[in-house]
This record gives sequence, structure tokens and C-alpha cells, in this order.
Amino acid sequence: MLSLLRKIAATGRVAEPAPPPPEPAPPDLAGRVKALRGSAQVRCVDAGSCNGCEIEIGQAFGPVYDAERYGARIVASPRHADVLLVTGPVTRNMAEPLRRTYAATAEPRVVIAVGDCAIDCGEFAGGYGVEGAVGDVVPVDLSVPGCPPAPDQIVAALRRVTGR
Amino acid sequence: MSVNLVGTALATSAGLSGMAAAAALCSPVRVRVPMVGVLSALLGAAGLVAGGAALAGHGFSVRMPDLLPLAGISLQVDALSGVFLAVTGAVIIAASVYGIGYAAGPARGRLAQALWPLFAFSLLLVPAAASVSTLLVAWELMAIGSVLLVVSGDPADGRVREAGVWYAVMTHLGLVTILIGLVWLSAAAHTETFAGLRLAAAGVSPAVRGGVFVLLLLGFGSKAGMAPLHAWLPRAHPEAPSPVSALMSAAMVNLGVYGLIRFGLDLLGGGSRWWWLATLVLGALSAVYGIVQAAVANDLKRLLAYSTVENLGLILVGVGAAGVFEDSGHPLLAAAALTAALLHTATHAGFKTLLFLTAGSVLHATGTRDLDELGGLRARMPVTTALFALGALGAAALPGGAGFPSEWLLLQSLIHGLAVPGIVVVVVLPVAVGAIALSAGLAVATFVKALGTGLLAKPRSAAAEHAHEVSGTMRAGMGVVAAACVALAVVPGATAPALMRATAAALRGPGTSLALGATRQLTALGSTLSPLLVVALTLGAVLLLRAGLTLVSGRKRRRAPVPLWDCGAPPLTARMEYTATSFAEPLQRVFDDVLAPESDIDVTPHAESAYLVERIAYSRAVPDRVEHRLYNPVLHTVRRAGRAARALADGSVHRYLGYGFGSVVLLLIVLAAAQ
Repeated sequence: MLSLLRKIAATGRVAEPAPPPPEPAPPDLAGRVKALRGSAQVRCVDAGSCNGCEIEIGQAFGPVYDAERYGARIVASPRHADVLLVTGPVTRNMAEPLRRTYAATAEPRVVIAVGDCAIDCGEFAGGYGVEGAVGDVVPVDLSVPGCPPAPDQIVAALRRVTGR
Repeated sequence: MSVNLVGTALATSAGLSGMAAAAALCSPVRVRVPMVGVLSALLGAAGLVAGGAALAGHGFSVRMPDLLPLAGISLQVDALSGVFLAVTGAVIIAASVYGIGYAAGPARGRLAQALWPLFAFSLLLVPAAASVSTLLVAWELMAIGSVLLVVSGDPADGRVREAGVWYAVMTHLGLVTILIGLVWLSAAAHTETFAGLRLAAAGVSPAVRGGVFVLLLLGFGSKAGMAPLHAWLPRAHPEAPSPVSALMSAAMVNLGVYGLIRFGLDLLGGGSRWWWLATLVLGALSAVYGIVQAAVANDLKRLLAYSTVENLGLILVGVGAAGVFEDSGHPLLAAAALTAALLHTATHAGFKTLLFLTAGSVLHATGTRDLDELGGLRARMPVTTALFALGALGAAALPGGAGFPSEWLLLQSLIHGLAVPGIVVVVVLPVAVGAIALSAGLAVATFVKALGTGLLAKPRSAAAEHAHEVSGTMRAGMGVVAAACVALAVVPGATAPALMRATAAALRGPGTSLALGATRQLTALGSTLSPLLVVALTLGAVLLLRAGLTLVSGRKRRRAPVPLWDCGAPPLTARMEYTATSFAEPLQRVFDDVLAPESDIDVTPHAESAYLVERIAYSRAVPDRVEHRLYNPVLHTVRRAGRAARALADGSVHRYLGYGFGSVVLLLIVLAAAQ
């Protein structure tokens, strides 16, 4: 018992070294990042994605990349959210729901377009069912390029919002 | 000679009732309705004054031997009558004012308008009666008046007619049992005045007194909606015009309780313990059965009618408990239980009038009483919705509502009564406490359903969508009774001296010492109950919380209108919300064995394949099981007997002459044998 306590005292706290601080947020986002004070509640919106980006987002919040340690957390409703993670080209059916979701998100709100399709419709540009990129429907603050983007890129974008 | 306030007020109300009836018969339709309304409201005010004066300790007694052949009319008002006079008067005021704006169609006619003040006056006459004959005359006037008013709404409607027939038959069967009981009692006691009966009742044999009490319990109980004799309530109340429903449900049914207290406790002097145990058990049964039926009812006024069955059941529990405690020598407990019953009579009258009047406004504005078709009235009828919510708070017996103090007092008196010895009492009282708790819980569910699906949410039909707020007089009628409800909810203690006087009058104890004892008892109970404090604390806490939140968030609340979150899909529709049926479905499932609901799913397959469904129809009905099991066999037997008796009357004159001759011979033989 005593040896165990001694062992604990001798070892101290063991943790990986802290990663380097994130890139600072762009100037128009700085005020909102300050208001969020290191905690961002995230709502994912699939606006017509092939689900590739969703798998990578799932990994970003999994045990390996663990975005939650930087203060980002997935929530179930835009009413609870500060950040929208939007994936995919915006299809005609999802344009209006995306606008409503954006309207329902609490202010200050941040929109992150995840993946090439979200940025410029990617493979699906000009498709008959595609309304446009995410930026054509709601104002986008940050973009994560890639098809699909790697989880560490998604985590990096989220860290710019949380500032941690 | 000083003027007697009670007598003057009663005489005024009699005069006003005659004037209003005459005005209704003579005046053209445009002035008829307002005139009758105003005169009837004044009549009610006179009744309220009479009751208030009686509660303040003014007695009144008069005998008019020439007014009615043979027996004459005797009136006497004591504090017990005063409670019922005051409650009835207050209900008449609200319902009459409301009726000015409400009356439409046949209800504006001469006959319906003339009947209203006469019925109202008969309600005041019953508690003022001081002899058996006067009581029976007033009772019959009340019965006839209410039957005609029930069918006055729309006599051409088949359902109204059916309700009228049920009510007429049941109320007259009740009258017959009361008549037999009272005549039996008067014959045994050789007097028919209440004063004489009070003295002579002790000399009547216990068997006769027991028989009389059973008859009176059946007769007065059926008027008070005691299960299983409640079948007329859920039929007559929904079909009657709403002010009539309010007057019947909040004032008339109380008189059944009055009769039971007056004869059982006062004139017969308490009697045996089994009388009151029977009353208590039947009351508890009515309370639970009534509220279970109310919880699954879809018709707003039928729901309120079943809620009346529940509340009158609670009052009967109080009366029964008072009788049991009195019999076992605990006058203080008896006084507490009876006070609770009388207070609940007053509070129930308050919130039930409010609920029936607001339900009438909903019916007036939308033309339907079906909760599944309503909804969305908060934005269209804000006053009505707010007042209905106030009434529902009272009916759900939550703190801050009118029903809370009286139900709390009733529970307290029953719990304190557990000290009373006797094996049956020890079993019955805790079960009664459980029944009250169960009915209070179900009442919350019932009124959440009525308010939530009936008035809040989105409109479920075009009728509800085009609803409009009701007229000024109707709002005034509802407002008057709402103010009374708030007063009863917040300061019920103000009624304590009056109720104690009434209790002392009913229990015939050694007057002053009992009244003083009751004060102590009530003060002891009152220390655990302060509705004013509860309301003040709740309001204070809410305001503090709000101020604190503003302070913490550090800025003024900015309201930005955003659309309702509907998961991004096109707008929410009324089909997505709870209906009254779906809200009550879990309760219906829990009480499946009690209610025996009849539900039917009808699946129509597609013409081309049995695996494709074209249409699914679901229907559900919750018939009154007591009615099915108890009344239908009786009705069948009567019908069969009637058909069989037709064979006796085949139209042959010879045979009829033979019947006459045969009966004379039989009679002579019987008389000869009796000599």
C-alpha cells in the first residue's frame, strides 16, 4: 500500500507533451472565437455528402485524434450549437434545411465547410441536383480542403475556433 | 321590529325571479336576454347576501301555512343552509351575466329564458326548506326546471333529447326514493317539520332510521353524481347549454350533499357507523371512477362532467369521514372533515363554474367540444385560455389552485383520523387516503390533457383556426368567477369562521365548545398550510431567478424572432402533435381492466394485392362500463316486461270490465281477511 503511494508520488503526472498552439483565427473570426472562450459545441450537417467526410469527422472525434480535448464537442441540435460542420455539395433538397439550421444556431456562430465538395462542389459540380457550394447558401468562415480531408486537418480547423 | 336580512334577501330573490320570468315572457327578443340576465344576476346576489348573512350568524325562520294546501311552506335558514345559499348565489351571478352573451338559437326563446330565473330560485329554495313537504316541492321544481333547461339548447337534436330522457328518468327515480324515505321517516316520527324531526328522530327505531338513510343516500347520492348512480351527469352536462351546465354542475349537485348532511348528520343525529362507512366507500369509488373516465374522455364537457363526479365523490368522502368520527366520539375530527367537505363544495363550485363557462366559450367560438378537433386557441382566445388554465389549476388540486386547500384539509383530517379504533375504519381510511391521492394525480393528467391539447398547440381543424375571442358579457361572467377562485385559492382561511358555524349547525354538538375546538383543530392544520405563502414564495422565486439570470448573463435579453426549430424540414403541422386520444392512450392502457375500451382497427387492402394497404381506419370508444353492466340489464328487463304486459291490454272491453270486477272482489277479500 505504502509502496504504491510512494510509486505514485515518485512518478508524478505522465502526459504527452502539449501540441504546438493552433494557428490564430482569421481576423473576422477573432471576435467570435474570443466570445466562445475555448468551448465550441458542434453540429454536423450533411448537405449532400458521399459520407466520406462524415467518416473522417467521426475519426476526428474518436480516441486517436480526440477533438474534445481541445474543447470541441458534438451536439444533437443546432439550438445547442456554436459551430456548424457542413459537408458535401448542397443539394436542392438540403438547401432550405441548411438555411433553417443556420438560422436556428445560436449566435455567435461559425460555419466550417469540410471537404472539397463543400468548398466548390468538387466532383458533383454542375450536377442537376446540386444547388451550389456551401458558401452559396450560408456564409462560410473556415474551409477544410481534401477529398476527404484527414482527421488532423479537421481537428486543426476546430482548434482555430476553440483557440486551444 | 328589526328587519331580518336573510328573510329580506330571500323575499327579494323570489320577487326578482318572478319579475325575470315575466320579463322573459312579455318582452321582445332584443331586450329579453339582457333583462333576464341582469335580473337573474341580481337574484343570485340576493341569494349570496342571504347565505352570507346566515353564515354571519343571522338565523331566519318563517311559516306560511296558506301558500300550499294541506302542509304550507316552512322556511328556515341556518349556517349550514347559508353555505349552500351563498355558493349557489355566487354561481347564479356568474352564469347569468355569462348567459347574456351566450344565449343563441332556441335558448333565446321565451320559455328557456323564463325557466332560467325560476330554476335559479328553486336552487335557493331547497337549502332554505324547513319541512319535508317544502323540501320535496322545491326539489321537484328544481328537477323539472333543470330537465327543461337541459333540452332547451336544441330540442330537435336527438342526442339532446336522449340526454333529457335519461336525466328526467334518473332525477325522478331519485325523487321517488327521497319521497319514500322522507314519508317513512315523517310517519314514524309523527311530524314533518325539521325542528320536530330533530327532536323525534332519536325515538325512531334504528331499523327504520337505517332504511330511511339508505333510501336518502340513494336519492341524494344520485343527485350528487355518486357512482354508480352518476349515469345522467356525463349525458346531461355536455348537451345542456353551458351556463345551465355550470349551474347544474356547480350548484345543483351540491344540494345532494346538502340533503345528506341535513338529514343524516343533523336530523337523524349521526346514526350508525355503517351509514357513513358506506358513504365514504361510495364517495371514494366515485372519485376514482370519475377521474379515470375523465382522463380518457375526448369531449371537453363530458370530461368536466366526469370531473364533477370525482369532486362530489371527494366531498362525500369528507361527509362520510365526518359521520364516522362523530360516531366514534371524535367531534373535533368530525368538524375538520366536514369543514373540508364544505370548503371543497365551495372551491369545486368556483373552479367548475369557471371551467364550464370557458368550455362554453370554446364551444361558442368553434362549434365543437371534441378535444381532437380543437387546439391553437391561445393566440385566438387569450382571455378564455388564461381563465381555463386558472380553472384547470384548481381542478388539478395543485398549490395555487382553488382545489388545493380543501383537498389538503380533507387529506389531513383523514390522516389524523387513523387514531380512530375499529377494524373496518383502520382498513377503510388509509384506502380512502390512497383513493384521494390517486384521483388528485389523475386529475393533473386530465387537465394537462384538456388544456394542452384543447387550447394550446396548433389548431387541428378549420373551426379552431377561425375561432375568435368571446363577447364582453361572457368575459365578465368568467372574470367574476375567476376572481372568486383566486380568492378561495389564496386566502381560504377567510372562510374558516363561516364554515365553523356551518359545521356546528350540522353536527348538533354542544355549540360553542365544538366551535372553539374546531378553531384549535383548524389552526393546528392551518399551520402546515398557507396557500398565500406558497403562491408568494413561488412568484418571488421566479422573479428572483429571472433577475439573477439577467445579472449573470450581464446584458439585456435581446429577442430576435427566429423560426421554430423543426429539424430543418418544412413546417410542423397539426398532424404531428399530441391529440387528446393519443395523450390519454397510456392511461387507457393502464386502466384497461376498469374502462374496457372498445378499439377497432380496420385495414383495407389494395384491390390488386393483399400485401398493399390502401387505408387504415382506427376507431376507439370508451363507454361507461357501469352504465353497460348495471343499467342495460335493467332497461332490457323493463322493456321485456312492458312488452309482456301488452298482452293484458288487448282492447277487449269485456276483458277490461273483468279486470275491474276481479280487483274489487280481491280487494274485498283482502279487507275481510284484514278485519
